[in-house]
Amino acid sequence: MSRRLATASLLACLLVAVLVAGARPAAAATVTIGSKDFTESVVLGEVARLAALERGVDARHRRSLGGTRILWRALLEGEIDAYPEYTGTIGHELLRDLPRDAGIGELRARLRALGIGIGEPLGFDNGYAIGMREETAARLGIADISGLAAHPSLHIALSNEFMDRADGWPGLKAAYGLPMEPRGMDHALAYRALASGAIDATDLYGTDAEIAYYDLRVLNDDRRYFPRYDAVYLYRIDLEQRAPGFVAALDGLAGSIPASRMRSMNKAVKIDGEAEEAVAARFLDVAHAGRAGPGLLDYTLQHLALVGISLALAVVLAVPLGVLAARRPRLGQVLLGLTGILQTVPSLALFVFMIPLFGIGAVPAIAALFLYSLLPIVRNTHAGLVGIEPALKESAAALGLPPGFRLRRVELPLALRSILAGVKIAAVVNVGTATLGALIGAGGFGQPILTGIRLDDLGLIMQGAVPAALLALAMQGLFEAIERVLTPRGLRLRAAS
Amino acid sequence: MHRAPAYSLQGVTRAYGAVRAVDGLTLAIARGETTALIGSSGSGKSTVLRLLLGLEWPDAGEVRRDGIALRREALLEERRRVGYVIQEGGLFPHLTVLGNLALLPGYLGWSRSRIHRRALELAELARLPSGLLERFPAELSGGQRQRVALVRALMHDPPTLLLDEPLGSLDPLVRHELQEDLRAIFRRLGKTVVLVTHDLAEAAFFSERLVLMRHGRVAQEGSIEDFLRAPADDFVREFVAARRELPGRAA
Repeated sequence: MSRRLATASLLACLLVAVLVAGARPAAAATVTIGSKDFTESVVLGEVARLAALERGVDARHRRSLGGTRILWRALLEGEIDAYPEYTGTIGHELLRDLPRDAGIGELRARLRALGIGIGEPLGFDNGYAIGMREETAARLGIADISGLAAHPSLHIALSNEFMDRADGWPGLKAAYGLPMEPRGMDHALAYRALASGAIDATDLYGTDAEIAYYDLRVLNDDRRYFPRYDAVYLYRIDLEQRAPGFVAALDGLAGSIPASRMRSMNKAVKIDGEAEEAVAARFLDVAHAGRAGPGLLDYTLQHLALVGISLALAVVLAVPLGVLAARRPRLGQVLLGLTGILQTVPSLALFVFMIPLFGIGAVPAIAALFLYSLLPIVRNTHAGLVGIEPALKESAAALGLPPGFRLRRVELPLALRSILAGVKIAAVVNVGTATLGALIGAGGFGQPILTGIRLDDLGLIMQGAVPAALLALAMQGLFEAIERVLTPRGLRLRAAS
Repeated sequence: MHRAPAYSLQGVTRAYGAVRAVDGLTLAIARGETTALIGSSGSGKSTVLRLLLGLEWPDAGEVRRDGIALRREALLEERRRVGYVIQEGGLFPHLTVLGNLALLPGYLGWSRSRIHRRALELAELARLPSGLLERFPAELSGGQRQRVALVRALMHDPPTLLLDEPLGSLDPLVRHELQEDLRAIFRRLGKTVVLVTHDLAEAAFFSERLVLMRHGRVAQEGSIEDFLRAPADDFVREFVAARRELPGRAA
């Protein structure tokens, strides 16, 4: 028994070592650029990276990190040095108490106090707009947003960010007296839903590639509700000393991208399937390395590292917590309650909560997955120990063996099946949840899924989703095999008899 | 032939909520003899064993060994002075027979060969085929399991054996055979034995001294002849009569 356990723990250690090696950190670069998880942001991130490269600044680009909050936090924490943003978002989301008509000078002054610099506008406004299928709009005779108010039965789906933000739906609804109850939907998926007729209207961005592709009508903002969303780069002000060439490169991009150019770049990536890097290089008229993106092996190793390390850490903490919970019933209730509460935190929120503590990348993802893994393991350890026949526990006590020895040699082996079942649940759930790690730059199978959703590329989504599903099945199989190896023969006999 | 008792209970009360399992009980356990505790279920006889082992502690009164009150600080040592066998044996299902036997000696630091020698020696005493040592409890018959439990209790040669209805779940033939073997072993080893049973005939077979319990107290103690000739009260009379009813009708 103990020899088997030793072998198993040795194997586990080796596995963790391999996984840690797999999660190797990217080579250090002078400047780190981030981008949000939509095409335009990624293209602008690539444009900045290549422009910096032109000036001899070694920059790397952490693409598709997530939404505004994640990028903004990462910038403030110094996890990234720069990312493309929009003036409307800065004025209404990031700096809250600004006057509605604040100009870029005011933004610059306020950001400077936070240690953040802002470049000159790039030349296009990617403000929010509301779009419908041309055919529907023509049939109902809707040209302006105010025209929507007369058709309360229209189905509206909005991107989740737009639903919640101060300058999004709540304000729009009030300004135009719109009676609809919109649903939240991913921006890229909303186009599909619009094209298929599942919804009638959605929020758009002014430079979205799909406007022409899907033959959409952009409704006129007749009450001038939407503020301007001029694209700019935000950067950490210390770059002016640390990497003046990078700031100069950003300055060089000011005013260089008209809306039509941005729309065509977006279309080249999103509709025609070109790489962001290639599109950005063509725009700058520079050569590019044609860098091969990460492959399946990279995603697999990253994913295994996220799951394996978080799980190993969770086992190390959760099994002792489960023992404690079984030994001290009242404390046990508290422990089970606390880990249960952790489980109720929506996973995306939990990932975001980790950013101020651990920055972005694999570490916060591992921390979040670790917290998620605690409950099933603590609960099953507790249940396994509490479920041991009292006569057996008493026999061990009556032999005159001390509690620690009884725990190791009698109680834990008898609870082993239950504990392993808990670890198995945590592992399988983690494989799925870890795909969300891509939102905060942790990589893994979530990366192709996220890019696939962004590019509306079902094949790319499958490249992440299928291996993730297979990995979940493999985890299940692995833990069933471990259970067979570790379960003492005597217990299997008893279960059979 | 009067010796100081091995164990004694002095006015011991142990209650579970409102139920007093043992209620002001005073009782002496004679050294080197077999004492049989009898009574219906709930009479408190198992609780007496648990008090002697320190699995329970008195709410009032004292449990003494060799005239000195048991101390919680010396609990593990006290328990190792006792071998304990329960109805279903209490064998650990994840360990082989040898693994079960080796648990305490292993903790005490015995060598493997010493453990093995002792196991073989006791297996012979308990008429347990040595080929069973590598089996798991689930692969044994009920009688074999009880023999293993007895061997496990004897491994470290404790001066006292406590047996809580050790034969209660066995069929009559196996039970009969094991009764003979156990009595022979007790006589041969000369240990202090406390045997809990609800069967008067079994108690009389094992012991000269029977203690009948009721509601956590001693209803009567003495030899089987005392019980038959001079029952202390109506309860004892009924208890004895109930036991004799079956053979009486057959005769």
